[in-house]
Amino acid sequence: MPEAVAEIDGTRTDAPVLSARDLRKRYAGVHALRGADLTLYGGEIHGLCGENGSGKSTLLKILSAQIAADEGHIALGGSEARFADPTEALAAGIATVTQETTLVGELSVAENIFLGHRKARSRRGIDWRATRRRAAEVLARLDLELDVTAPVGRLRPNEQQMVEIARAISTDARVLILDEPTSSLTDEEVERTFRVMRVLKEHGVATVFVSHRMNEIFEIVDRVTVLRDGCVVGCGPIADYTRDRLIHQMIGRELEELSLHAGGGGAHDAILRVRGVSVPGKVDDVALEVGRGEVVGLAGLLGAGRSDLLDALFGLRPDAEGDVELAGRPVGMRDPRHAMRSGIAYVPADRKRMGLVLDMSVRENLLMAQTAPLPRLRRPQRSFEQSAVDDAVSRFGIVTASGATPVVRLSGGNQQKVVLAKWLATEPQVLLLDEPTRGVDVGAKAEIYRLLTAAKDAGVGILVSSSETPELLLLCDRIVVMYRGRAVARLSRREASEGLIARYAMGHL
Amino acid sequence: MRLVRVAASQRFFVVLVLLVALFVLFSLTQERFFTSANIEALLTGASILWVVSIGLTFVMVIGGFDLSLGSMLALAGVAFAAFYNDIGVPALPAILLTLALGALLGGVVNGMLIGRLGLSFLVVTLGTLILFRGVVNLWSDTKTDQVLSSLLDGLAFDKLVGLPVPVWIMLATFLVALHVQRSTYFGRDIYAVGGGQDAARLSGIRVGRTIIAVYAIAGMLAAFGGVLQVARIGAASPLVGDAIIFDAAAAVMLGGTSFAGGIGGVGGTAIGVLFFAVLQNGLSVSGVESFWQQIITGAILIAAVALDRMQRDGSISFRRLRRTRAET
Repeated sequence: MPEAVAEIDGTRTDAPVLSARDLRKRYAGVHALRGADLTLYGGEIHGLCGENGSGKSTLLKILSAQIAADEGHIALGGSEARFADPTEALAAGIATVTQETTLVGELSVAENIFLGHRKARSRRGIDWRATRRRAAEVLARLDLELDVTAPVGRLRPNEQQMVEIARAISTDARVLILDEPTSSLTDEEVERTFRVMRVLKEHGVATVFVSHRMNEIFEIVDRVTVLRDGCVVGCGPIADYTRDRLIHQMIGRELEELSLHAGGGGAHDAILRVRGVSVPGKVDDVALEVGRGEVVGLAGLLGAGRSDLLDALFGLRPDAEGDVELAGRPVGMRDPRHAMRSGIAYVPADRKRMGLVLDMSVRENLLMAQTAPLPRLRRPQRSFEQSAVDDAVSRFGIVTASGATPVVRLSGGNQQKVVLAKWLATEPQVLLLDEPTRGVDVGAKAEIYRLLTAAKDAGVGILVSSSETPELLLLCDRIVVMYRGRAVARLSRREASEGLIARYAMGHL
Repeated sequence: MRLVRVAASQRFFVVLVLLVALFVLFSLTQERFFTSANIEALLTGASILWVVSIGLTFVMVIGGFDLSLGSMLALAGVAFAAFYNDIGVPALPAILLTLALGALLGGVVNGMLIGRLGLSFLVVTLGTLILFRGVVNLWSDTKTDQVLSSLLDGLAFDKLVGLPVPVWIMLATFLVALHVQRSTYFGRDIYAVGGGQDAARLSGIRVGRTIIAVYAIAGMLAAFGGVLQVARIGAASPLVGDAIIFDAAAAVMLGGTSFAGGIGGVGGTAIGVLFFAVLQNGLSVSGVESFWQQIITGAILIAAVALDRMQRDGSISFRRLRRTRAET
């Protein structure tokens, strides 16, 4: 471990509300948590920081009893706590609000707040008047003014979140876990969420707050715990932290030298020119260029608008606006067929739903895009198809029993190679890729990198979006960092580093 | 052996085995079953269900369903009678006009609403099921209209090279459908759209157009079924076709095409229809009451689908036969 062991935080002398010690969890041999501690005091907002895959989610799921730890102890209010399921954890006072909504859109605010608990009853059934009154009381505790009779589906996203929080505290929770509550909110809505969090703090609730945005952490949090690779690498009052120190602890390693590919660099004549592209609510006025034989990376957090931008460029977002030029000719963002004709290919993130037809054969999937422009009543030429399949299988190193094997039987890496081969067969001028190595093992990863490099050497302009910064640093000539729909930084290969990208991606400009 | 392996790898394998078993059973126990007259009657009686089921197969492979096919069948009969009796169009052009009408209604009404506007196929075809039936009743004034045509008589009752004409029609429809399914890009599109509509669209396949074409084909084949129906009974009746969609759906599903789309095909449907024809004919030759036929048919449908599910879950297995998956 390069970092000093977690500092002991001696600033609080009162008894903690919750204390978790030495939590360990393994998934199929992989350590998700290797001895993590977390201490929460009443009336504090505790930031939990760490990169994707650092073990945050696992830790939070153990606390809320969605999964069981392999080892470790949790004490709640001083006594050992063992919960069989989330309902028991909730009854004991640990409430969770996640990003996914668990509200029922057609039911009213009041009904949602008491969903799953007993509503007030009278002799004739549910006492609706009393239920509404009690719901209003819960909302009043949070200083919220919402119509308790309004259907939740009509509320704005942040108001729905308030209802979730209200439901969580309606059970008199002592610990409230907020897992990325602000990721889809506007600045103004974030402020309202913070106001509710401060009210809860006054009521003595211990809140765990997860956010990838640095400025939010520094605005609202009292203390932080930093996780990396399943271990706690730092803990203490936020006053002891600077942004750089926090990011450094999260990323860990002093930015090691990565072995970058040679070549690239220099001036490229732009093949893809994107100007002022917007998708309402997702992408905000993005401009970028990709040169012939250049690899440009899109970095940013989940929800920063990377996928939406790629979708828009391939014509999947009819509400997109802006100008796209390919080799000097304007391309309307109309539909995928049009984008293909213009010379764009797209390897989407959701391989199983968007990339492949799983029940169809390797052959049919490989040829699907290439043969789409042909007359539909034509007969597929068996000899041509067989040689195309043989060629792709050998060139891309696809491991399959035969061309007739349903693609669903292939491993993730081989499936991804089929998607890549399918699109390169259309001889595109620009290749868009979204998370090209997601769910792919290490060997196949290296092979996909090799194939992309080969395509780049053949003069294809490549725009690749990835959550894995090391992957971008390895592949790209330039990296564009997106933050909440905007392209906030453009970094050359020499300038780019994990730390710098992380800073921009978290909105710390 | 290779043929057995190919058959065993198909989803309709269970029903194929049942069909052969049933056929052998009836042949051995009922001396009136395995006679050329009875087999011809069996096949001829299945011809209308056959063509409608083939159209429905494509619709189900693409991940949809068409409830309106029975009403379409009746509408085609009434339309043919109108063209032929009232307007005086000769029989052959009248048949072609009727087929075009079926394709148009299937493609433009059902297909456009489902493929272009993205409405639910259940809602759209339930609507047209009722709507077309209303048109039938209005147009025919709920009266049966006699149709006297030597061409139609020929379609229903003549023999060609020793086989009844309806059997030739079944064979021709099947071969054309099999060719479209297996040997054209359109056939592939149907499976691509049914198996993964998003992936198909991303690959540049015209999803909407494919859906429209498939509903047009189903409408045309249902209209063809309507013409055959008129030929069989010598009249256009507004009452025909109201239950055929259930039989057709059962035959298609028995043949291994699932509601989920993307799998199955007309080969299985042919076996499904034959299975029904043999079961019903055999039971009635045996003197079993027709209500029992319904009970047995329904039970077998559920059992066959359950068997197929268990087999794919691995609860039961034909693995020794399946080990070598044949090249298709």
